[in-house]
Amino acid sequence: MTNRRTFLGYATALAAVPAAEALAQAVQATGSVTQSGLVGKLEGPIPAGGPKPAKFSEAPQLAELVKAGKLPPVEQRIPAEPMVVKPVESTGKYGGTWRRAFIGPSDGENGNRIMASDKLLFWDFTGSKIVPCVAKGYEISADGKVTTLFLRKGMKWSDGHAFTADDFMFWYEDIYLNKDIVPGPIADMSAGGKPGKLVKVDETTVQFVFENPYFLFPSMLAGDTLIGGGQATRQSNGNSYAGYAPAHYLKQFLPKYSSEAEVNAKAKAAGFESWIRMLHVKKDWELNSELPTLGPWKTVTPINTPTWSMERNPFYYAVDTEGNQLPYMDKVVMTLAENIEVVNLKAMAGELDLQERHIDLQKLPVILENRDRGKYDVHLDLAFNGADTTLHVNMDFRGDELIGKLLGTADFRRALSMGIDRDQLNETFWLGLATPGSSAPAESMPESPGPEWRKKWSTLDVAAANKLLDGLGLTKKDSDGYRLRPDNGKRVVIELLAVKAFMDWPKHAEMIAQHWRKIGIYGDVKEAERGLAFGRLLKSDHHIFVWTNGGTELLYLYSSWALPTDIASGAYGIEHAKWYASNGAQGTKPSDPKMVEALELFRSAAAKQEPERNKIAQEIWKIMVDQQFTIGTCGQSPALMGVRMASRRLGNIPGRTCIAQHCRTPGSARPETWFYKA
Amino acid sequence: MITFMVRRLLLGLFTVWLISMLAFAIIQLPPGDFVDSYIANLAAGGATVSADEANAMRKLYGMGQPIYVQYGKWIVRVIAGDLGESMEWRRPVAEVIGDRIWLTLLLSFAALLVTWSLALPIGIYSAVRQYSLADYVFTLVGFIGIAVPNFLLALIILYTAFRYLGMSVGGLFSAEYALAPWTWDKVKDLAWHLPLPALILALSGTAQLIRIMRANLLDELRKPYVVTARAKGLSEMRTVLKYPVRAALNPFASNIAYLFPYLVSGSIIISIVLGLPTVGPLLVRALIAQDVYLGGAIVLLLGVLTVIGTFISDLVLMWVDPRLRHQLD
Repeated sequence: MTNRRTFLGYATALAAVPAAEALAQAVQATGSVTQSGLVGKLEGPIPAGGPKPAKFSEAPQLAELVKAGKLPPVEQRIPAEPMVVKPVESTGKYGGTWRRAFIGPSDGENGNRIMASDKLLFWDFTGSKIVPCVAKGYEISADGKVTTLFLRKGMKWSDGHAFTADDFMFWYEDIYLNKDIVPGPIADMSAGGKPGKLVKVDETTVQFVFENPYFLFPSMLAGDTLIGGGQATRQSNGNSYAGYAPAHYLKQFLPKYSSEAEVNAKAKAAGFESWIRMLHVKKDWELNSELPTLGPWKTVTPINTPTWSMERNPFYYAVDTEGNQLPYMDKVVMTLAENIEVVNLKAMAGELDLQERHIDLQKLPVILENRDRGKYDVHLDLAFNGADTTLHVNMDFRGDELIGKLLGTADFRRALSMGIDRDQLNETFWLGLATPGSSAPAESMPESPGPEWRKKWSTLDVAAANKLLDGLGLTKKDSDGYRLRPDNGKRVVIELLAVKAFMDWPKHAEMIAQHWRKIGIYGDVKEAERGLAFGRLLKSDHHIFVWTNGGTELLYLYSSWALPTDIASGAYGIEHAKWYASNGAQGTKPSDPKMVEALELFRSAAAKQEPERNKIAQEIWKIMVDQQFTIGTCGQSPALMGVRMASRRLGNIPGRTCIAQHCRTPGSARPETWFYKA
Repeated sequence: MITFMVRRLLLGLFTVWLISMLAFAIIQLPPGDFVDSYIANLAAGGATVSADEANAMRKLYGMGQPIYVQYGKWIVRVIAGDLGESMEWRRPVAEVIGDRIWLTLLLSFAALLVTWSLALPIGIYSAVRQYSLADYVFTLVGFIGIAVPNFLLALIILYTAFRYLGMSVGGLFSAEYALAPWTWDKVKDLAWHLPLPALILALSGTAQLIRIMRANLLDELRKPYVVTARAKGLSEMRTVLKYPVRAALNPFASNIAYLFPYLVSGSIIISIVLGLPTVGPLLVRALIAQDVYLGGAIVLLLGVLTVIGTFISDLVLMWVDPRLRHQLD
C-alpha cells in the first residue's frame, strides 16, 4: 500500500516539476497564496429576498410530463413562496448529467452535501450569515427561549405531498421521542440541561420551546448539527434527527399506526430482521429511491450499488430570479471508485465534471499540468479553521504519571509547539499553500481572537522551547541529546497517535518528531487504523492525537476538536468530557483551572446573544492558545476538500467557496444553480 | 478409486468447516467491531454517535453475544443458503457479491486466456530452442516479469496509458454506460476497457508459467524415451508435442486448485490499483470495516473453491498422467 502511494508520489513529482516550480514562483512572487491566481473571489448564489418572479418555467422533460398529465403544472409544484436564488453569473440552461465519483457506501456525505438545501436554515456563501432555506424565516423571542420557524406555504415533498408543520410533529413525537429509534435526547435539543419541545402553531409555523435561554439555537439549525443537518444527512446511516420527516410515507413503517406484529411481519417479508432495521433503510435517502425528500435531486440507484445516481426533484422549492425551477442539471451520476487515486486520475482525465471531495492537494502540480487536456479549471478554496494538522493533547493521561503530568503542564505543551518548524511542514505537505500558526480560526471569522493569537507560542523558537523544558527540570540528556526522565532515567517519550485519513498524518507526525529532536524530546509516531485510533481515544490512553481541527471555526457548533465537550471523543480526556456533558454528575473535573474556565465560558455562551457569544468565543480561544490545549501547525489551506476541479463546460461556478463543516462543502455554493453552458 | 474419491470429499467437507470457523473468527480478531469502525468513519466525516446509539446499533446487529453463538447463527443460515446482510453495504451479501462476480469471472477468464495462450507456446519454444536468441529474450522478459511486482506494472501502464494514449483509467465502464442497460454499445465500451487490466493481470502469471513450462520440458526432453522416439524417426513436432509436452503439463493441472479462487476474487492488489469492480477490493473493504457477514462469505467462498479446485485438479492429474492412476490400483 505504502509502496504504491509513494511511487505515485514520485511519478507525479517527476512528471510535474515545471508546473510545481511555476506554482511555487507564483506563490513566492506575491508572498500570498490568495494571489496565486488559483484562489478566486469568495462568492456564491444569493437567496434573493426580492419580489417573486411573475412567471415560472421548468425543465423540458418535466414540461412533457405535465403535458402528458403525469405531473401538475409548475406553478402548483413550487411553493406559493418559493426560495428565489440569484446565481453567481447568469440564468442557466436545463440539461446535462453531473459526473462525480464516490468511494463506497461509507461515502454518503459525498451526496448528502450536495443535498444541503434540505436544511431548515443555512449559511450564505461567506459562511458567516444565517439565511433562509427550507424555512423561509425564523424569529427568536426576546428571552431566547422560543425559536419560531416559518415554513413556505404550498411547499411539497418530492412525491408531491404537502410539506407542513405536521411533518415536524411526526418527527418529534413518533421518531425523536421513540426510544426504540432514538435511544436518548440529544444535546442540541436542550438548553441549560433541560430538554426542549417542538410545538405546532399552525400549518406553516412551528416553535422550538426551551426552559432556558437558547440564543444559539438558530445557529444550531443552520449548522451541520444533529438537529439542523437536514434530512439527507441526519436521517441516513442509522441517524434519526433533522427536525422533520415525511410523515405520510414513514407512518406505514411504524408500529404506532398499525401494530408491532404487523410492521414486523412487513419487515420479515421485505427481508429485514425487525421493523427498526427496515425503518432505518426506508428513511435513508441514500438507500431508498421511494423516500420523499426536499433536496434538488433524489436517488434513483442507491449508494450500495456501483453507481449512485440521482434525478431532479420535480417539486424542488427554489427558482432562479427569472422563475426557472431549479436544479438546472438533470441528473447526478456518481461512479464507484475503488480508491482515491482513481478519483484523482479520472478527474484529471476530464471524466468528472466537478469534484472537490477526495482530490489530493499533493497532486496539485499534475492537476494543474493537465488542465487543458482534461478541460477543467482548478479553484483553491481556503478553509477557515486554524490547523489542518493539529496536535490534540490528552489532558487526562493516566497510563504514566510523569508523562501525564508533563502533558498537563502548559510550559511543556508550549515547548512542544515552539519546537515545530511549521514552515517546513507547510512546504512539504501543503506545497506552501497553508498558513502556519496556532489552532485559532482565521482572522476573518467573527470568533477569531485576533492576529497575535495566531502566532502566540506557535512559531519556531528552539532556544525558548529548550529553556522552558529546562525549567521543568528535564535537564539531563543522553548521548543522542534526548532529555531523560527524572524518575527512572529513561528517555522522555511522547507518543503521536496518527491516522492516515484526509491527510497522511503519520508522515506529518514523523516530521514533527524530527523537529522535536532539537528540543530533546523523543516523538514516537504510532500509526493506527482509524477505527482502532478512535477506540483508543474513547479510552483516552493516548498522549497526543494528530488530526484536523476542522469545524472549530464556529466553536459552538462543533467543539469536538477543541474542548472536552463531546462524549463520543476522548481526545482531551474522556472523563473530562463526561464531567462536562453531565453537568458534573459523572466523570472527573479537569484539574487545570484554565480548562475549567474555558469549559464554563463555553457552557455560558448558548444563552447569550450573538455579539456577546462571539466575545466569549474569543476569550475561549485566547485561553486555548495561551495554554496550548491543542497545538496548531498549518491550516486555512485547500487540503481538505479545497482543491476543486470544475469542467470548463460548467457555468455559475463560484471563484471561491466556503469550505467548512457548517458550509457543507460544496452545499453553500448551491449546486442546483450550476449548469452546462454547452 | 471410489473410496479415494469419497475420502477426498469427506476431507474436503471437513476442511470447509474449519475454514468457515477460521474465517468468522479471524475477521473478529482485531479489537473493536463493525460498530466501532462505523463510528470512526462517521466521526471522520464530522458526525458523532453517542454511546447509547452505539449500543442500540450493536443490539440491532446482534453483536455482543458470545462469538460461538454468532457463529452458530451465521453458519446455520449459510447452510440454508442465506449469506445474511452486509453491514456496510446494507444489502444481502449474495447481491453485493453477485453485482461483481460476473465481471470478475470475465476479467479473470480473459486474463487466464492471455496467460495460457502466451505462456504455453513461448515455454515450449524456449525449451526446444534452448539458448537461442529468442530464448534469451524471452528469459530476460520473463525474469523482469517475475521480478517486477505486478501492481507496479499496473501503475506504470496506467500512467502511460493516461499520459500518452489518453485512455480511460480505472473501472470497466465509461461513466455514461455504467448506468445504462446492456446494449451493444455497452459491450463495446467494456471491450475497450477490458484488454488493459486483463493484460496486466496476465503478465506476471505468464512470466512464471513460461519459466515452469520451459524447465519441465527441458527435463523431459533429455529423457531416454525422447531419444528413442527421435531414433525411431518420429517427426520433431510429434516427438515434442505428443509426449514430453504432455508430461510437462502436470504443473498446469495442479495449478487448477489455485485457479478457482483466483477466478472469483481476481487479483486483489491490481483491482484496487486499477479501480476494477471485482470481488477482491470488496473483500479488502469488508475486512477493514469488519463487516463480518460479507467478509466471512467471501473468505468462505474462496475456501470452498480452493477445496473444489484441489479435488478437480487431483482428478485432472489422474486423467492426464496414467502413472498416478496406476499407483492407486
